[in-house]
Amino acid sequence: MNLRSLLRDPKILIGGLLTVLIIALAVFGPFVAPHGEYEIVGRPYTNEGSFLGTDYIGQDVWSRVLYGGRSVLVIALLATLLGVAIGVLLGVLAAYVGGWLDEIVMRLNDVLLAFPQILIALLVLSSVDQPTWWMIVLIVGISHAPRVARMARGVALTYVTRDFVTAAEAIGEPRWRILLAELGPNLVVPLLAEAGLRLTYSIGMVAGIGFLGFATDPGAADWGQMTNENRLALLVQPWGVLAPVIIIALFTIGTNLIADGLGERAAKGAA
Amino acid sequence: MPNDVAASSTPGARRPASTLSRRRVLGLGAALGGASALSLAGCSTAPSSDAVTSQLIHGATGGGLKDTVDPHFPVTFPDIARCTQLYEPLMRFNAAYEVEPGLAESAEMNADGTEWTFRLRQGVTFHNGRPVTGEDVKFSFERMLDPKNPAAYLSDVAPIADLSACKALDARTYKLVLKEPYTIMDRVVAAYSLGIIPTDFNLNKPVGTGPWKFEKFVPGQRSVFSRFDGYWDVQASYDELVILDFADDAAKVNALLAGQLQTVDSLPAYLAGSIERQGARTLVSETGGWVPFTMRVDTAPFNDVRVRQAMRMLVDRKQMIDQALNGFGRVANDVYSPFDPDYIGDQLPQHEYDPEHAKALLRQAGHSDLQVELVTSSGIGAGAVESANLIVQQAAKAGVKVRVNKVDGSIFYGDQYLTWPFAQDFWYTRLYIPQAVACAVKTAPYNETHFEHPRFTQLIDAARSTTDEARRRRYLQEAQEIEHNEGGLIIWGFKNQVDAVSQFVTGLKPYRELPMASFHFNHAKPVETR
Repeated sequence: MNLRSLLRDPKILIGGLLTVLIIALAVFGPFVAPHGEYEIVGRPYTNEGSFLGTDYIGQDVWSRVLYGGRSVLVIALLATLLGVAIGVLLGVLAAYVGGWLDEIVMRLNDVLLAFPQILIALLVLSSVDQPTWWMIVLIVGISHAPRVARMARGVALTYVTRDFVTAAEAIGEPRWRILLAELGPNLVVPLLAEAGLRLTYSIGMVAGIGFLGFATDPGAADWGQMTNENRLALLVQPWGVLAPVIIIALFTIGTNLIADGLGERAAKGAA
Repeated sequence: MPNDVAASSTPGARRPASTLSRRRVLGLGAALGGASALSLAGCSTAPSSDAVTSQLIHGATGGGLKDTVDPHFPVTFPDIARCTQLYEPLMRFNAAYEVEPGLAESAEMNADGTEWTFRLRQGVTFHNGRPVTGEDVKFSFERMLDPKNPAAYLSDVAPIADLSACKALDARTYKLVLKEPYTIMDRVVAAYSLGIIPTDFNLNKPVGTGPWKFEKFVPGQRSVFSRFDGYWDVQASYDELVILDFADDAAKVNALLAGQLQTVDSLPAYLAGSIERQGARTLVSETGGWVPFTMRVDTAPFNDVRVRQAMRMLVDRKQMIDQALNGFGRVANDVYSPFDPDYIGDQLPQHEYDPEHAKALLRQAGHSDLQVELVTSSGIGAGAVESANLIVQQAAKAGVKVRVNKVDGSIFYGDQYLTWPFAQDFWYTRLYIPQAVACAVKTAPYNETHFEHPRFTQLIDAARSTTDEARRRRYLQEAQEIEHNEGGLIIWGFKNQVDAVSQFVTGLKPYRELPMASFHFNHAKPVETR
């Protein structure tokens, strides 16, 4: 599976373009923003400032959009990596070891899966005065782990009984090496698909947490928080809400398309 | 400040599940229309003069399941809107926030200010037709001055009231006896929450003397009142008044623009222009409302007066008014009660935005790299979170790092309320002495800044005890100077109240005391159209 062959898939190509575009916007946006993140450019909710007008205290909406992606993307990315790492570890271990470990891990998994992810996040966040960025990474990441674990276990189970694993065990390879060297490569494509999907959810959750008012820095530009700050004036000055929502939507569509494309390839591979 | 006028918008902690959302308002509007003999007055056509029932519907936010019609303990704006329809105090505030006779035609003090005699108007009756007597006033004051649970506006009077000596002198006269002089009682009893009720008062079927009679009340949803034809003052033009609770500002504004409401109070200022473009009318009133930053004077770093002075120089007041209030306000000078006759905030040197001077003061105080946490909440009301985010940038110009901690309204007004070292709060229009007694003297119930200034407290005590007006003025001026120089409040502006009225309603004018023409719905009249 090389990059060129992946890009021949139109879903992956379009998804990749959208994703790269939004990431570029978030990374380089602050350097090209017409106004500062906190700069007052006019009265609240007017057409002053650049083309998207002003927000709830008169800051430039377009500039805030350009500044506001970094935190959402970085937190979402770290949370996804954490969730995938924990999930894969638990899922593959459960599949490989089996027995009581498998039972315990998967039943605990079932309990966590019974709760919507955002509910778990709100439960924790509402008990603290003000969340920190790493707290959000932990909460979102851990809330992903059960779903990833279930997927990883399912995929790993199809391999643990294969001959090459049995052969590796027979020649006395250590367990960690079997997991990494024998099972690992076979999990890459389905895992990438799942990671793409988790990233989509992460962005939605991180933005949702910002929208619900659990901001790590209440004054900072942040796509989720912008939708909260400006929502009451949706009819008067919609861009304060629409601009970040559109950007988040495009990014999640992008990551979802990639995940979808990878998933299809994984399914073909498995078949 | 939960026992006073509550924040008008998005008080998340108190928001009921049952208040109206945008989606529900259409259905309810239709239901109301069907239930009434007349289609909703103010719906796209003006109410007809030959209708059987004319209805005025008001939309409010901030209410919830704890809504009340208790005359002496209203908390939110919807509570106050209800109470002011049903009950009236002995004295009252006019549109300019001047005290004038209410139920009492006179209020007279004895020579040393320890006795107040209130003479009732002749011919005033309760909604049940029974005349108001001195005994009713006595009963009302006993309820309001209950030492265990006094009305908020009488919290400083309750400890000095001699209830056993207070009595009805005759059918129209009541004497209030105090253990200590209190020479501004006529101003204090003008508060909206000190209504007179009958001796057989029943909270489930409340009776008062106000322009509207109680009909129905569902907490967090709606209250219905009918016109009191025996009212002594301005008779209501509408037959019925309905006050509807809304979950958020957007829902009530949409309902107004759809013609399902005739009035809404406490609009976000940025909606004013949009409302007018869409055919409704805004009612803008200058008020004495303020959203201060509160610095605890007994806690580092604010226990150093130089830090407090520096922080006051780090607030660009004009920008606060323009950006946090969208221009609907006036610059203030760290002194409250702008409508008090003894207010001197506009005569004292104006605290200006001066980062360089602030930096120098902080250096002297040993706080060159000052970092402070500011606790705010959207539950405080409009202008709070906005001004909190603005001060971050304004203070940064002097190298002061303000970190905003935005908490839920239930946390802000929970156990930690009044303990935050640096926070915000909200107050509405009050006269100077009652305000100081509520938030600045040693025993104040809402002393957010923990201000304990012996001389200040002495001045307030002296001012409310003296019968000499010139002397009182001097005391109050000195008290204001103390707060201006040493206090822990940053009062950057006074808010203007923005309400909205349907184009089919007239007669409501700006008042300084409370929103929506001080809720004088009896002044509202349908516009006559052919």
